[in-house]
Amino acid sequence: MPNTATPCGDPRHRHLPRQPGDVVAAVLHAAAADTDIALLVAELDPGAEPVVRWINLGATELLGRAASDLEARPLEAFLRRSDGGSLATMFRRERPTSTAVTLRTAVGELVPCRASAIPAPESRLWTLRIDPAQTDLELALRASADAHEHRFKTLAERSPVPTMMSEQGMRLGHVNDALCGLLGVPADKLIGMGWTAYAHPEDLDAITTTVVAVLAGAERETEARFVDSAHRVRYTNMRFTPLHTPGVGDGFVATLEDVTERRAFEEQLNHQATHDSLTGLPRRTRLWEHISTAMADPEAGLTCMFLDLDNFKVVNDSLGHTAGDALLVEIAHRLSSSVRPGDLVARFGGDEFVVVCSTGSLDTALEVAERILGVLSEPVVLEGVEIHPRASIGVVLRGPDHHSADDLIRDCDIAMYEAKSRGKGRVTLLDERARNDACDTLSLVADLRQALEERRITLCYQPIVRHRGGQTELASVEALARWQHPERGAIPADVFVRLAEEHGLVKELGELVLDAACAAMSAWQDELGPLAPPRVNVNLSALQMSDHQLVASVERTIERHGLCPERVCLEITESALMKDPGTASLILGRLRDHGVQVAIDDFGTGYSSLAYLRRLPVNYLKVDRSFVAELQEGHTAVAQAVISLAHSLGIDVVAEGVETPAQTLMLEQMGCSLLQGFGISLPLTAADLVDWRRSGCPAPPTDTP
Amino acid sequence: MRAVGLDLAATLDSLDQMASQRPVAAQIVATSNEENAGAAELAAMLGADVALAAKVMKLANSAYFGLSGKVTSLPFAVTVVGFNTVRSIATVALAGIDGAKALPDGFWDTSVHLAAACGTLGPQFGTTTADALCLGLLAPLGSALLHQADTDGYDDLVASTDLGPQRFEAERQRYGLSSPQLTAVALEHWRFSAAMVTVLREVPNGPEGALVRTAYELTGRLVAPGRPRTPLAGLSLNRVTESQAPARLAVIRADVAALRTALGL
Repeated sequence: MPNTATPCGDPRHRHLPRQPGDVVAAVLHAAAADTDIALLVAELDPGAEPVVRWINLGATELLGRAASDLEARPLEAFLRRSDGGSLATMFRRERPTSTAVTLRTAVGELVPCRASAIPAPESRLWTLRIDPAQTDLELALRASADAHEHRFKTLAERSPVPTMMSEQGMRLGHVNDALCGLLGVPADKLIGMGWTAYAHPEDLDAITTTVVAVLAGAERETEARFVDSAHRVRYTNMRFTPLHTPGVGDGFVATLEDVTERRAFEEQLNHQATHDSLTGLPRRTRLWEHISTAMADPEAGLTCMFLDLDNFKVVNDSLGHTAGDALLVEIAHRLSSSVRPGDLVARFGGDEFVVVCSTGSLDTALEVAERILGVLSEPVVLEGVEIHPRASIGVVLRGPDHHSADDLIRDCDIAMYEAKSRGKGRVTLLDERARNDACDTLSLVADLRQALEERRITLCYQPIVRHRGGQTELASVEALARWQHPERGAIPADVFVRLAEEHGLVKELGELVLDAACAAMSAWQDELGPLAPPRVNVNLSALQMSDHQLVASVERTIERHGLCPERVCLEITESALMKDPGTASLILGRLRDHGVQVAIDDFGTGYSSLAYLRRLPVNYLKVDRSFVAELQEGHTAVAQAVISLAHSLGIDVVAEGVETPAQTLMLEQMGCSLLQGFGISLPLTAADLVDWRRSGCPAPPTDTP
Repeated sequence: MRAVGLDLAATLDSLDQMASQRPVAAQIVATSNEENAGAAELAAMLGADVALAAKVMKLANSAYFGLSGKVTSLPFAVTVVGFNTVRSIATVALAGIDGAKALPDGFWDTSVHLAAACGTLGPQFGTTTADALCLGLLAPLGSALLHQADTDGYDDLVASTDLGPQRFEAERQRYGLSSPQLTAVALEHWRFSAAMVTVLREVPNGPEGALVRTAYELTGRLVAPGRPRTPLAGLSLNRVTESQAPARLAVIRADVAALRTALGL
């Protein structure tokens, strides 16, 4: 038989080199007398039964027989294979074997043992080592291990913590009752790979990746969702510990902490943070996220609609905030039910809503917008009053210029303002012109902000003179703001003042103008002495009239430049006064108390009641230039009425827009001696005004004969 | 069927001869559980037998262990499937039956079903899935050896008997021992653990053989649905009931698919 059948390369089974005789004798002597180990040597001739050739003390004690009774006897007389097979199969020349055997002792007792047969080199002899099947120590260790296993099993099975155990990869060998309870399924459905059917499909890959790391020896934690038998999602924290079972393989023990309720609470908090508490609609953050996610796909169709309720303030002011809130809730409900699944309705703020539709079709978008308009216009009864809500909707389809949610929202906001300006209650699609206008405006506002920071808004001064008995004296100068744009040239004052009002820059503009005017007054005082203008008029915006800091700011500026308050006159238009008469009256009163003069500009164009006018702390009325212009056409009634009214109230009158000597004459005859206009003087720079004063206040050349 | 007896010594001789042709498998099979030096050393041994290594890698990455595609190194594959499984695969290779053309009818089908069935039932019998899988995979080895020794006779025996107790009894009458018992002899010859040997020896009859015996019955129900059924309660010593059978069979069917792919059978 070829020797190559010996397991290759394993040094433990290679034949030992031949030993000197004295060494062999020493080993034999020790083995023969050893009582802790049972050894015997058997001989097996071809075709014969194995026969005992030698036996040690340990073997004779185990068998209870004398060595002389055993030697030369067939092995089968006291040793049989446990499975009843032939003893000959134990004797392999190629390798040691290990066989379960039964010994028969001298008293007939049958002892289960294991017999290891080791072939001697180049002979027909085998050494048999016989060990009781399980030694006392092995039995004790096994019992201890079994007890440990039982304790662990009991602990795991009774533990309220859901636990799973794998011995190989992801295959579970054990699950406890708590895990079965968590998922609502019996253990046999979870054992093996069954449990993975209850892992949330989106989380299974993460779980597997974690298990791979755990199998490599690391402890890990991961969050994972499971779906229980009632199809409810359970959120868990899984904690993995590697588990090595010798021979079996590597697996893990995992405990699951059910954090479903905690997650639900966190999600509720998150919902509250991202959703409007009144309407339940998503707020801006979610809106931005939604649009950004949708825009991540460059091919995805996207339409954004900005919706603003028309006249919502009227409802709020007339029926109260509770009714206003009820209207918003109703609108939110109607919007949500008008859009398609997957579309988003968000509350942008106040009475503004944004609808995001996943469509790139203009027709579909307009159809949705018109449907919304229709649904919103159904009557609502609030506080017993029937309201017909209306809204202006700006629609924009995502285009190549839209790179972010900001771009899209900005454009649909522009479209909404277009809808408002075209008469409210309508849908407007953003067109190129409107967008260009809006972009242009935004650019101009940015320039204005920079111009204010760099104090590049300059002032001109138009003289106001008093004509009396052929004498003309300078009564005041009106400061007029000028903005020379580096690229666009001169920007009309009404344009940049409106921009400042619309974009929150009016305070800065007002302060700059007052400061520059006061500085000019101070400089003229030094330069012209008694020829310096006795007063400077500075225009206030309507928005400044609601600024309670205005009075303090004016006082500080005048004081900083060392002027008497009486040398400053603040002009406010009649229409601005009427926006919030109460506050305006209060602020003007405080300014007057401080000594500052007050004039009502453009008088006659608003709707002030006489009673109200009488109570206002005003020094001057300025007759609007339109009434002066019509004097020469014979329409003198309004101008005359205004002048008479002022006189009757003891208020001085200034006529604006005086352009001709004829107008001057007529106004003098009507009793209006304070005049302002191109006929008196064009607006002058601060330096030109000095020259103008020194040259005797010449009237400008006129084409009028 | 007349008794022909079996030359056990000749059968074991043939196994030893096979070992010379698959030295790596022989070396792994000769490494007893206690001597297992670790995944790295075992992987190093396996690396010398590409076919064997590929089989282990494939198994570790199979759906059976749930780690599809994530096991990228041989030591890790050995870690996942465990020493006993590697040794079982090596044993199949060593016995020369993995590439043999002449095997009993439906041999691999039965083997894979038995492996899956044992793996599924193992925990119910207090046996780890890994050990159970090995038992199922190795149990039919004896039938291949019987077929090698007595090809025509064994083919007739297979054709005329149903898988399970009836066949075990026919094998015992013709050869003196049943095929799982012959597997036990072979495994003992290769110094597999006494526990495994005992389980296989007691498959036809005996308390330790209940797991594999039950697995044979479920395998029979899957591979030969028309054959007479033996009640599970008696076979499993009341560990598995008939009411549990449908669920078990469904799991086994799924595992069979995974194992068949993994083992290239």
